[in-house]
Parts: sequence; structure tokens; C-alpha cells
Amino acid sequence: MQLLVSKHIVTEHEAEAASNSYLMSLIAIIGGLPLPIVNLIATVIFYFGNRKSTWFVRWHCTQALLSQLSLFLMNSYGFWWTIAIAFTEKEISGNYIAYLITIFIFNIVEFVATIFTAIQTRKGKHVEWWFYSSLTNLVCKA
Amino acid sequence: MDAQKVDMFIMTNSKYFEAYHLNTIRERLLAIDDSKWAILSTMQFHEPTTSLIVSILAGSLGIDRFMIGDTGLGVGKLLTCGGLGIWAIIDWFMIQKAAREKNMQKIQQILY
Repeated sequence: MQLLVSKHIVTEHEAEAASNSYLMSLIAIIGGLPLPIVNLIATVIFYFGNRKSTWFVRWHCTQALLSQLSLFLMNSYGFWWTIAIAFTEKEISGNYIAYLITIFIFNIVEFVATIFTAIQTRKGKHVEWWFYSSLTNLVCKA
Repeated sequence: MDAQKVDMFIMTNSKYFEAYHLNTIRERLLAIDDSKWAILSTMQFHEPTTSLIVSILAGSLGIDRFMIGDTGLGVGKLLTCGGLGIWAIIDWFMIQKAAREKNMQKIQQILY
């Protein structure tokens, strides 16, 4: 994760909106548990709501969206695997436990990173995540 | 329009607009003639903080959207019980911006 000084002066409202994109995904996780899709839907709608906003806001909405998207794929697989074990004759295997531990670690890391980024963007700082920032730069042109 | 009047207007009403809109508003107000001042000074804007409070308390009924003038979205929100709660959560974070955008649309009728 990289903490950068923004290229342009970020206004109060821009910082607030950018920070909200991360904060909202956290609230939606809490509101939507155990379904893994709620926070993704929330981030997508927020992204579309801010499409006409300034570059700083759009960039952070896109980064939040991309991180939620990858997490959604991992969580969904884990969710349906758990459902299959609960309702069919599938048994708990070593692979299943390993997968659960992996997605648990990923979720915790993402959760902490999201909180950190929400705090920093609120101060007008530009936070670029490893891997996701390159993707965001491709999607979100200046 | 007189620079003093424009600055007074901006100082009093800056909370109703997005910060990045203020410069545009100021420039446009300086360019238009004094006859619009009477309409401008009596204009009513939507209060973003009130919209936020309403959104938290009655968001799932769509009252916040009705308040800022988005009747269509308000009806949609009401019928879907705040988009099954998801839309209501999103609007906690978006309603203030939406209210400021509405104010911008309103003032644009005078500016252009």
C-alpha cells in the first residue's frame, strides 16, 4: 500500500465522498452478513452515483469497487461450499478448512486496509493499494 | 453583479453547494447582471444536513428522496422498502451530495 500526496488540491466534499465509498462498503458488510453480495451491490450503486464526480472521487470509488469484486468471488465460493456441506452429503475436508482460513485472512486484511484508507482519504491523502491501484488507473482515466 | 454581493452570497450559502462548484458559481454570478439579485437572494435551497437526518430516520420509506425533489426515486425506494435496505444504506452516504447537486441545478436556472 502506498500513501501519496494528491496531484491536485482535494476539497472537503471530495475527501468526504471518497472516504464514504470505503466506509459504505464496511457498513454494507455488517448490514448484509452472511450474504457476500450485499457490499458489492452497495459499492456498484455508489460507483454509478459518483460517475460524474471529480477524478479523486471516481478513482477511490473504482478502487473500492475492484477490491470488493475480487473479495466477492472468493467469499461466494466459500459461502456456497459451506451451504453444500450443510445441506448435502459433502464432508468437511482439509481443503475446505484451508480455503476458509485463506478467505478469512483476505477479509481481515481487506477490512483493515479499507478502514485505513477511509481515514486517510478523509484527510485528502491519496492511498494506492498494491495491484488494485494499477487496475484502477487502467479503468479510471484522468 | 457586484463583487461584494456575490461574495456575501457565497459566504452565506456555500454549505448548500459542492466545494468544487463554488468557483464556477462565483464566476457566473459576477458575469450576470444585477436584475437577477432579487430572485437569487430569495431562492430556497435544500439543506444537506436535514436530508441526512431524514435519510437515517426514514430512509427506507424514501422520504429523503421526496424531500430533495427526486419523486420517481422516492416512489421506487418506498415500494422496494429502501431497496431491501441496501439502497437506504447507500443513501446515508449519498444524500448530502445529491441535495447539493439539486441545489446546483436550481441555481443554474438563474446562472445560464
